Amino acid sequence: MSTTRHHINRQRRRQARETRPAVSAGTPESTGSRTRTRGTAVLTPSGAPSSSSSSARAAEPVAADDEKATRTRPRRPVGLVALCALTVLLGGFAGWAHAEAEALRDDPARHNTALTDLARTSEIKGQTAKAVDALFSYDHTDPGALEEAAEDLLTGKAVDQHGALLADVRERADEQKAVITTTVTESAVERIDGDRARVLVYADQSSVSTAGTAKDAENAKNAEDAEDEGVYAGAMLAVDVVHRDGRWLVSGIDTFGR
Amino acid sequence: MERVVRALTGTRSRPLPALALALTLVAGGFAAWAGQDWYHAAHDDRAAYAGQRDEALAAGEQAVQNLNTLDHRDVDRGLDLWESSTTGELHEQLSSGRAEFAEQVKAAKTVTTARVLSGAVTELDDRAGRARVLIALRITVKASDGAKTDKDSRMLGELTRTDGRWKLSALGQAPVGGTSAG
Repeated sequence: MSTTRHHINRQRRRQARETRPAVSAGTPESTGSRTRTRGTAVLTPSGAPSSSSSSARAAEPVAADDEKATRTRPRRPVGLVALCALTVLLGGFAGWAHAEAEALRDDPARHNTALTDLARTSEIKGQTAKAVDALFSYDHTDPGALEEAAEDLLTGKAVDQHGALLADVRERADEQKAVITTTVTESAVERIDGDRARVLVYADQSSVSTAGTAKDAENAKNAEDAEDEGVYAGAMLAVDVVHRDGRWLVSGIDTFGR
Repeated sequence: MERVVRALTGTRSRPLPALALALTLVAGGFAAWAGQDWYHAAHDDRAAYAGQRDEALAAGEQAVQNLNTLDHRDVDRGLDLWESSTTGELHEQLSSGRAEFAEQVKAAKTVTTARVLSGAVTELDDRAGRARVLIALRITVKASDGAKTDKDSRMLGELTRTDGRWKLSALGQAPVGGTSAG
């Protein structure tokens, strides 16, 4: 039995070797007819189970050995090609879906977590309000308090900005023996991006002069300026804060060019 | 011999389909993961909320700027813009006082322009369609003699969503002097 199959195999192999050059040299019609007959020869065993199954099984190694290109094509591909196509499709979908998701997440609106992250938003509001209160209040009897606050709450370029904004105020306050108190009345977080945030702050500044001059009332007219003193003055400023060591420090003060 | 042949065919023809199948499964896994990732990204409540926040702010800034812009040479168009930017009580106030106000502006011959310095949303009720905004505004008034004066305003606005659009329903300045509620 096995010898017969071996024999058949060898015969087929030989036949295949013989036909190969003929195929390449033959006319288009002859190639077509030959491939057709060869195709049926391979397909018959699997297509018609009544014929000897041994020859079908035996055909496989032959195909693998010699005729990979032509003989195996109609057999393996159906499943393999489907699998490959499925792989490509699934891979393509995965890539596309991932890109879509990333694009959605890259949306600047989503990057800004102001209000969407309520806990962080109120934490920033609270700490910024406290910082602004401390940084823009000045008591001539206790100048150290302001310096301490500046040291504690400021970072980066805000140090210089704060120094410039308050130099004048301190001088005048010392002259008039004034106590300037700043209270944040309204604040809103414009944007939170990770450990950076920007807060818009409205603050009231009251100035009580123990020297008792009427100048304060006069100055109150310049209500917009953060550094102006007066009985009451309204100020608005935007504050950049940065999260460091669990606290929000002021890293920039924008008084809108005033 | 039959077993040998089978073994031969097994070692020769199975690795490829097995590999292909493995790749397909891996690709399927990636596809499932990416799909659900995408779904979550697209149905993120926070993202929708953030979108509303930005829309409300943009509309608020534009409306506040509109309401602080008026040219005495083209009062009607300016006031039309005022009315289209507002809703509710504020809208009624503006339309009822329109004629009188137009007269005043025409008489004063002023050109008012405004620039939003900064703005932020303080509160947003996505469902009810209400929002509160702070808007820092610089208003420039050009008098008939050409003199320009700048004035900064601390605006508090309230927005209401009507027909899918955010419109100003109240606008005022933040009070100075410790009277405002924090």
